[in-house]
Amino acid sequence: MSDRKHSFLRTESPRVLLAFNAIMAITYFIAITFFFMPGNRILFGFLIAGEAFHLWQVLTFLYTVWDTRHIAPRNTLLRPSVDVYITAAGESIEIMEATVRAAKQMTYPSFKVYILNDGYVAGKKNWRDMETLAARLGVSCITRQIPGGAKAGNINHALSLTRSPLIAIFDADHVPHADFLAKTVPYFVDDKVAFVQTPQFYKNLEKSHLTNGSWEQQELFFGPICKGKNRLNSATLCGTNMVISRAALATVGGMKTDSIAEDFVTGLLMHARGYRSVYVPEVLAEGLATEDLRSYSTQQFRWARGAFDVIFRYNPLFMRGLTGAQRIQYLSSASFYLSGIVVMIDALLPIAFFYTGAVAVQMNSMLLAAIFLPYIFLTFYVIQRVSNAHFTFRSLGFSMGSFSIHTAAFFAALTGRKNDFLVTSKRALEGNFLPIVKWHLFYCALALVGIVVAYDREGVTASLLNNSMWALFNVTIFIPFIYASWPEKANAAVAVQRSAEEALRREDILSPGQLMQTQSSYAD
Amino acid sequence: MSTMIFCAAVSVFFLLPQSLRLDEAQSLWESGRSPSALLMIVAKDVHVPLFHILLHMWRVAFGSSVAAARSLSLVFYILSIPAIYILGRLAYSRSTGLYASVLFGLSPFMNWYGNEIRMYALFTLLIILNQFFFLRIIKQGSARIWIGYGTTAMLGIYTHYLFFLSLAAQAVFYFLHRSLFPPRSLARFSIVAAVLVFSFAPWVWYVYALKEAGMQLPLLMPPTTVDLFNTFSQFVFGFQDDTLNTIFVSLWPITVILVFLALRRGARFRFETEYFLYTIICSFAALFIGSFVLTPVFVSRYLIFTVPSLYLVLAHFFDAYPPRLAQAARWSVAIVMVAGLVIQIQSPATPVKENYRQVVTYINEHAGPQDTIILSTPFTIYPIEYYYHSPATLATLPIWNRYDTGPIPAFSPAQLPAQVATLTDGYQKAWLVLSYDQGYEQTIKSYFDQHYRRIGTEHFSRDLDLYVYQLRYDTPLARQ
Repeated sequence: MSDRKHSFLRTESPRVLLAFNAIMAITYFIAITFFFMPGNRILFGFLIAGEAFHLWQVLTFLYTVWDTRHIAPRNTLLRPSVDVYITAAGESIEIMEATVRAAKQMTYPSFKVYILNDGYVAGKKNWRDMETLAARLGVSCITRQIPGGAKAGNINHALSLTRSPLIAIFDADHVPHADFLAKTVPYFVDDKVAFVQTPQFYKNLEKSHLTNGSWEQQELFFGPICKGKNRLNSATLCGTNMVISRAALATVGGMKTDSIAEDFVTGLLMHARGYRSVYVPEVLAEGLATEDLRSYSTQQFRWARGAFDVIFRYNPLFMRGLTGAQRIQYLSSASFYLSGIVVMIDALLPIAFFYTGAVAVQMNSMLLAAIFLPYIFLTFYVIQRVSNAHFTFRSLGFSMGSFSIHTAAFFAALTGRKNDFLVTSKRALEGNFLPIVKWHLFYCALALVGIVVAYDREGVTASLLNNSMWALFNVTIFIPFIYASWPEKANAAVAVQRSAEEALRREDILSPGQLMQTQSSYAD
Repeated sequence: MSTMIFCAAVSVFFLLPQSLRLDEAQSLWESGRSPSALLMIVAKDVHVPLFHILLHMWRVAFGSSVAAARSLSLVFYILSIPAIYILGRLAYSRSTGLYASVLFGLSPFMNWYGNEIRMYALFTLLIILNQFFFLRIIKQGSARIWIGYGTTAMLGIYTHYLFFLSLAAQAVFYFLHRSLFPPRSLARFSIVAAVLVFSFAPWVWYVYALKEAGMQLPLLMPPTTVDLFNTFSQFVFGFQDDTLNTIFVSLWPITVILVFLALRRGARFRFETEYFLYTIICSFAALFIGSFVLTPVFVSRYLIFTVPSLYLVLAHFFDAYPPRLAQAARWSVAIVMVAGLVIQIQSPATPVKENYRQVVTYINEHAGPQDTIILSTPFTIYPIEYYYHSPATLATLPIWNRYDTGPIPAFSPAQLPAQVATLTDGYQKAWLVLSYDQGYEQTIKSYFDQHYRRIGTEHFSRDLDLYVYQLRYDTPLARQ
C-alpha cells in the first residue's frame, strides 16, 4: 500500500520511443484515411472520425509526457497564513472528524481550519452535527444559510468571511498529511502562482474491484499526465488537496458557480488571466474512492458533464490569454470524455457488419493488421513505460466501459440540460447496479445474435470471423465494468460495510445517531 | 522428458515415414557426394555446409534411408526441448521454461522441421544455445560462457546464413542496453566478432570464387502482409490448408485482447523479453524489407530461429495474467497446438506435404520402357529420382543436366517446341509431372494439351499433378 502512494509518480519519458510512437500514430491514421478504399461511406466517416480522435489523444498524450521532470521554483522560508477549508455536504461525521483532526495537526506556523458546512442548504440531516464537531475539535464552522452554486458557492461564501492570502481546500474525505502546507505553500514564491495541486490519492483503493479500478484510472492522470501538465503551466485544478491564491481567485470572481466542473473551469480562467499553476507530485492527502457503481457513475457523469461544459461554454481554443500549450492541454483533458462516443462508434462497427454486411473499409484484413498491431502495441508499451507500468486492463475497462455515462453526459451538455451537483457517496450504496450496465449487456446480446445472423447470411467467412473478434474485444473490455455492477459484488461491498459498522457500534465508536446519519448519506 | 518422448513418438509413428520432399531429396543428394563435391554443391545452393557435413557422416554411420537421415534432425529437435527449458528458466523462471518447452514439443511447425532432412532443427538448437550464452553473459560473464557464446555463434553461421540476423539483433540489444552487460564486454564481443569474421571469411571467399551461388535458387515472390501473418500462423498453428489458415489469421484481433489482458500494474517489460522481441522484430523486418530491396527470401522456415523467442515471450506473457486466466490461456494454446499438429499430420490437404513417393510409385507401376517421364520444375528430379525404378526415361523440362556446372537453364517459350520434340521423340507416352511452379508450369501444360491427347490425370498432393499424354498411334501397343 505504501508503495502505491509513490510508485505511480516514478514516471519516465523515453523520447525516442515517444517520437517513434507519434510517427506510427500519424502513419496509421494517414494510411487508414487515404490509402484504404472506403466501404460504406457513413461507417467510413464514423471510423475516420474515431481514428482522428484517437490520433488527437495519442499525440496530446505524447506531447504532455514528453518531459515529466519539471519542478517549479519554491522558497521554503515562505510562510503566509492559510485558511484551510474542508467542504461538507452531509458526509458522515467520523469521516469529517478524521479530516479535521489531520488538518489541525498540519505542521505549519499560521493557518486556521474551517468546516464549510453545506448540510443545511443541501437538506442533510446531520448539518448540526458538523457544528458540534467543529466546536468539539476547536475549529470554525461556516454553515451556509442561502443556497446556490453547490460546492463552489460554499467556497465563495467562506471566501467572503475569511482573510488569509492562501486557501487550502479539502473534500470531507481527503485527509491531509501533516506536511501538506509545508510542501505546497513554498511554491507561492511567485506572485503569479494561482494554485498548487497535489494528487487525489484513494486510501481505500484496495477495498474492492471498483475502488482499485478507480484508482488505477487516476494513476495515469496524477502520474505522468499531471507531471507533464506541470511543465506546460497547465496543471488541472481538481477541487481538493489544493492551495489557491485568494488574489488570483478574486480576479476570476471566485470559484465558478455556473459549471458542474467548477474547479476545472476556475483553473482555466485563472490560467487565462496569466496566472501560473504548480503540480506537486507527492501524495500529501488521502481520500476515498467511490465504493459502488452508482456513485462511480455519478462521479463520472459529473466529470464528463463538466468537461463538455468547458468545450461548449468555455472552449479553450477561443479563450483569450491562454498559451498554445494551455489550449492544447485543456482541450485534451476536456475532450477525453468524448472517448465514450468513440468507443460506442467503434463497438457498433462489427454490429453493423453482422446485421447489414456493411463494412467501413474494403481492404485486406492482414494489411490493416500489419499497420494497426505495431501501432497499438507500441502505444500501450509507451503508456506502460511512461507510467511506470501503472496502466491496467481494469482501468482501460473502466474508461471504455463508462462510454454510456460519457455519452449521456455529452447529450446532456449538448442540449443544455441542467444537472445538479451531486456529492458522491463515500460509502457503498446498496442496491442492484445492473441497470447501469444495461447497454453493455445489450451489446453482448446484440453481438451474439448478430453473429448468428451474419453466419446465416454468408457462412464462415474471414469478415465474419474478424468482426466477431472485434465484437469479442469490446465485450472483453466491458467485463471489468460489468463485473463491478454484479449484484453479489455490490452486496458484498455493503455487507463488508455493515459488519464494519457493527464492529464500530460494539466498540461504542459510533453512536446510534451517527450510525443513522451514516446510512442517510447513502441517499446522496 | 515427457515432451521429448511425445515428440519422438509422433515422429516415429507419423512423420519419419512420410514421403521424401524436394528439399530433403536435395539434402540427400548433396550429402551423398564426396566432401569436396559436397562443399561445392552446397556453396552453389545458397547454404552453408555444417549440416550437410554432419548428415554425410550420419549416413555413413546409420545408413542411407530417409528415416535414418531424418532422425538426425529429430535428435537436434529433441535436444532443443531441454535447451529451451534451460533458456526459459534462465530468462524467466522454471515454470515459464517448462511451458515454453511444452509448446516447443507440441508445435506442429517445429515437429515438421524436427523431422525434415534440412538444417532447420540444428539451426534452432544452435540459436537456443547461443541465446542462452548471450543472456548468461549479462548475468555472469565468465570465460566459459564467452567461449560457449563464440562457439555456438560460429557453428550457427556455418548452419544457416540467417544466423547473422540473430547476431545482429543481439548487437542492437547490446548497444541499446550496454549498461546491463559486464565491464569490458564490448572488447570481448569485438573479439568474438573478429573470430567469427576470420573463420567465416574462407567460406565467403570460396563461394565468391565459385561465382555460382544462388543460381539454383527457386523462384520466390516478394512477400505481402498475408505472408507475414501466415508465418506467425504457421509458427503457432502449423501448416494448415487455405480454409483453416484463413480462419486462423482472421482471428488476429484476438492478439489485441490477449495483450490488453496482460496490462497489469507492475507488469513491466523485462530486458529478456525485449531481447526476444528484438530477435523477432529485427529478423522479420530484415527479411521482409530485404525481400524487396535485394531478393525475395521471405519464407517461414528461414525464420524458424525466431520460434524459440516467440514461444518464450508467449509463455512469459501469460505470467502477467491473473492465475486462473493464465491457466486457461496456457491450456488453450497447448490444445490448439495439439489440434493443429493432428490436423497437419492427418490432412492430405496440408500444404507442405509433397507426395513424390506416391507419384513415383504410380509411374513405376504404370509406365513402360516406351514412355518418357518429363519433370517440371527441373529440380524436382531430386525426390523423384530417389524412389524411381521405372524402365521409362526420366528427363526435365527445361532440359537440365545436374552434373553440368552453371545454373538450371531458364525456361524459354521459344525453345519449348524444340525441347518437347527432343524429349518425346520416339516415345509412346509422355508422363508429365508438374510441381513447384516456377512461373511456366501452365505454359508447358497448355503446350502439351494443344499438341497431344491427354489420356490421364492424377493429383497426389498440393501442386503435385501428373498428366499422361499419348504421343504416337503407330505402334502395336498404341493400337491396342
